[in-house]
Amino acid sequence: MRWSFRPSRISAMGSLLWPWLCAASVALSLLMLATLLTLLATRGLGHFWPAALEEATLHSGETVIGQPVRETPLPNTAGIERLYFTGNRDIDGASWRWVALDDIDTVAVPDDLIRLERSPWGDFIGRLEAVESEGQRFEDAAAWAFVARALTLPDSQRPNAQLQLTAANGHTITQPLSGVTLFQAPNAMSWGQKVVVWSERIWQFLSEGPRAANTGGGVWPAIFGTVLMVILMSVIVTPFGVLAAIYLNEIAHQNRLTRLVRIGVRNLAGVPSIVYGVFGLGVFVYGIGGSIDSWFFEDALPSPTFGTGGLLWASLTLALLTLPVVIVATEEGLARIPDAQREGAVALGATRLEMLTRVVLPMATPAMLTGVILAVARAAGEVAPLMLVGVAKLAPQMPVDGEFPYLHLERKFMHLGYHLFDTAFHGEDVQAAIPLVFATALLLVLIVLVLNLTAIFLRHYLRRQRGNEC
Amino acid sequence: MTPPRLPFLRQPLRLIHDRIATGLITAGGIGVLLAILAIGVFLIWETLPLLAFGDAFSLSTLSPLAWGTLKAALAAMLFATPIALGAAMYSALFMSTRLRSRVKPILELMEAIPGVVVGFVAGLLLAPWVERHLASTLLVIVWLPLSAALAGGLWYLANARLRQWLPLSWAGVWLMPWLAIMVTLALWLSPLMEQAWFGGDLRRLLDQQYGLDYATRNALIVGIAMGFAVIPSIYSLAEDALADVPASLMEGAQALGASRWQALWKVALPTAGPGVFSAVMIGAGRAVGETMIVLMASGNTALFSASPFEGLRSLSASIAIELPEASPGGLTYHLLIFAALSLFIFTFLVNTLAEVVRQRLRRRYQRLGGKL
Amino acid sequence: MKGNGLKRYRLRFNQHYRLWLAGGLLFFCACAWGQPSPVGGTLGAVGSDTMAGLMLRWGEALHHRYPDITLQFQAGGSASAPTALVAGTTRFGPMSRPITERERQQFIERYGYPPHELSVARDALLLVVHRHNPLASLTRKQADAIFSTSLDCGGPQPIRRWEDLLPADQWPYGKIALHGRNLASGTHRLFQEQALCNGQFRRDISEHPGSSAVIAAVGESPNAMGYAGYNHLNPMVRALPLINDKGTAITPSVATIQDDTYPLSRDLYLYVNLPPGERLPPAEQAFLELIFSDEGQQIVQAAGFVPLPQTQRSPLLLGD
Repeated sequence: MRWSFRPSRISAMGSLLWPWLCAASVALSLLMLATLLTLLATRGLGHFWPAALEEATLHSGETVIGQPVRETPLPNTAGIERLYFTGNRDIDGASWRWVALDDIDTVAVPDDLIRLERSPWGDFIGRLEAVESEGQRFEDAAAWAFVARALTLPDSQRPNAQLQLTAANGHTITQPLSGVTLFQAPNAMSWGQKVVVWSERIWQFLSEGPRAANTGGGVWPAIFGTVLMVILMSVIVTPFGVLAAIYLNEIAHQNRLTRLVRIGVRNLAGVPSIVYGVFGLGVFVYGIGGSIDSWFFEDALPSPTFGTGGLLWASLTLALLTLPVVIVATEEGLARIPDAQREGAVALGATRLEMLTRVVLPMATPAMLTGVILAVARAAGEVAPLMLVGVAKLAPQMPVDGEFPYLHLERKFMHLGYHLFDTAFHGEDVQAAIPLVFATALLLVLIVLVLNLTAIFLRHYLRRQRGNEC
Repeated sequence: MTPPRLPFLRQPLRLIHDRIATGLITAGGIGVLLAILAIGVFLIWETLPLLAFGDAFSLSTLSPLAWGTLKAALAAMLFATPIALGAAMYSALFMSTRLRSRVKPILELMEAIPGVVVGFVAGLLLAPWVERHLASTLLVIVWLPLSAALAGGLWYLANARLRQWLPLSWAGVWLMPWLAIMVTLALWLSPLMEQAWFGGDLRRLLDQQYGLDYATRNALIVGIAMGFAVIPSIYSLAEDALADVPASLMEGAQALGASRWQALWKVALPTAGPGVFSAVMIGAGRAVGETMIVLMASGNTALFSASPFEGLRSLSASIAIELPEASPGGLTYHLLIFAALSLFIFTFLVNTLAEVVRQRLRRRYQRLGGKL
Repeated sequence: MKGNGLKRYRLRFNQHYRLWLAGGLLFFCACAWGQPSPVGGTLGAVGSDTMAGLMLRWGEALHHRYPDITLQFQAGGSASAPTALVAGTTRFGPMSRPITERERQQFIERYGYPPHELSVARDALLLVVHRHNPLASLTRKQADAIFSTSLDCGGPQPIRRWEDLLPADQWPYGKIALHGRNLASGTHRLFQEQALCNGQFRRDISEHPGSSAVIAAVGESPNAMGYAGYNHLNPMVRALPLINDKGTAITPSVATIQDDTYPLSRDLYLYVNLPPGERLPPAEQAFLELIFSDEGQQIVQAAGFVPLPQTQRSPLLLGD
């Protein structure tokens, strides 16, 4: 081999600067990742923070009360406009208001502004005038104390009361206490109180079901559905993946065909997930599900029982999708075990089964585990195939409940990733949904990252532990 | 390998157990492999009815989608390949070992970020932002490599102490704030430049002078978002290939007087070339099949256009939104399954090619005496 | 030592084995018995996607009124409602379009009487533009000329640019960027029928997988125009008044949609399976009463749709 190094000035310059461009690529990738994560974290967690309410007086004399959301330049003219979340859909017909900054005279942050969450009209933002309960009338501090105390009681014990509320435009409404789910005066809160409210709302987000048709409330059914689907999937994929890996590595003759099969399996990991979804829809849902329906659930036809997307088919499809991951990881683990171990076992009189179950498999367990965790991480983030085989926009029935047989494999279920897609693209008011979407995205990313990190650490730790064996 | 004798009665039982288990494993293994094979068989089987429809016109409705898929993949690769390969070269050959052991897993974690999250951010945040700041975006894309080179130039001019403080082997980290500052600077300056060069509004200029349309969700956005998603897979494989180049080769080149970069360019890259190539192929395969990002960030416009500012529609996104509503057995159903089949065949071929190339490379390394 | 090791491995294997076995058993049992759950104190409804939010809100309110009644709603698109009604798996089928003659015939074949049709709320298709867009109104011919290639409503030529609709200095944004829904959605089909006179859509319309994505896209770009359902409207965008056949511009509002003067308005339906001469069971009756009560119609408004005009809110007692 001959190398020629021409000492020209340009190539010297290049060879000095190229490494910097390469270094910048690393820095840029890290920067993009960090930006994305920071964006998700701030927007996702910031949504739960009890933000200050502003009272803006316009030059026209009108007042706008609301939470400032964002500012954008006006089109076609100079100037900036600000978006306020004003609530009060029942009074104004909309819960958002754009105000040009030039129109604003003064902005104040008075302590007596309140924010209510109520059904069916969503948020109210304005002032509390008085509370009437059983003939009594409370005003000012007494009214506040009354509401604060009443809301700590469980639903059934709450007093029958009417809140007198005033909105920004002077419009007064009467709101029964029974419809109120949250009452706060964010401007009057101290930092500590805000932190408490913030963490309470995050907890609500994690533990409650969606309310008001996905525009509020939490994502608990989606978390539950995701986890349940992933568990079912790993129950299916682990035995089959391991079986296939053992067959490929320990039993099949190592010839050209086996090599081809191995390459094929490896490549399946690169086949787009939507293709698996198509397969799941065609074979599981329409094929197998349709047949099950015509054999066992004929009385329910034409409305399908198993012949439509559901938990079982989604798990099976994702199991197929992640099968290559488990096979490849297990095979790598098996290949790493020195032949001496196997020969030793056989030499001591073990049959192949004994050799496999007592020597080889225990040694390959970490690899299997890593494979399964990676499979779970991949499955938790997949959405495209699920759109074809079984997620629902809203599934008020959980797939697990008190009714026999407790686990309903034919039911549709909610999934975090699809919930995200759905609220961002199908929701009623996209502007209101975006903060929730950010929170959901953050949650999904966290789940997937934690799973991946577990796999990485597990692999790292076990490799180091067995380092002397290999 | 005769096993030692065991008590008379247990022997046959164990052997029978062994037979049965081996049979079961074989059956299970072959069953699983057949199930995987069934995907291809199913897709082909369900495509056959299309022949019965005998309708060449219906196939032509898929061609803008195929074009959209390729356009999206091309845009993503244009964005991702330079960054991923640059990052791979840097972390394989310049980065300090300690930093590399941290940075590599982090970059590989990027791959785990679900497509639906990337698509949402790209479609609902990035796309409107870029629409309002088109000139700034283009400026940043040009400005970033320049600012990296600038950092390099400044580094050579700096005094020795500063160079020790900020060594090249850690540049992947300390360039982050530098780049962030440079991007902010570019964003701050770009309105002035737009004013000076493009008459205040680049989009209006594009529209009036060149007749170029601008769609909010376009190939540029898809390229950036999907590029972000495929960077880690290209990076990871290319880095492996480069890092496994036998050290003796690099040392030999450097001993003959080559600089580190020359050794990389003339020795490591040609040697690891097939590995790098297969990394790019696998990235392309992923870009072609990615669904959620394209669905959410592309606008789903079935157009034949090469403009990076116009929308596109991909095969995978069409399958995802139209298939659940298509009645099984209908023309649309079979057409969409044909689309899935073409995705399947394409990615399978690309991946097989990449895998074969990679295995050949591995044998070459063994011959050259490197570690496996 | 050695014996210990062997024992441990055997134990571990057995554990795995049992786990797998248990998993498998559970799996098959659940498969075999996983039937639709029997209705006990629950009302079932199957149907329209568009009305999902509405049905669920009604369900919440019903549960609030009568804590032992719950509504289980399965959103499968309007087409799933007739199927479920015919199959008898549900008594209520909410639909965002009227039932087709074929679907009605299928129902009659099975039961011998037609399903009961109730209009429960009103909805409209809106043409939306950026909130600062000064365009006053559109004629239906113009709407067709903007969105279609076929011009079946009789427009003279396609409209491609804002200059064709507005003076250039008022809205200098060049080409109109079009946004709409994907092929499979009911909104797409409805817009094609009503606004394009069954014509062909242009090819360069961005097809979004959801109505709120259309609103989001239009709200962000000044050169955009799109169509979406009334319940997705928010102040990011402005709904354009349409000029009707008599030449007056009709702004889509609660009043104009209620009395059907806004050209693209429609009813939302609830189909009920009720044999003639019979009365509904009390729970079902309570649900219908809720829907037509003031509270129920307020929920319609809270869900973003338009309530029925007072005259249509008959205190409905089916079978009387």
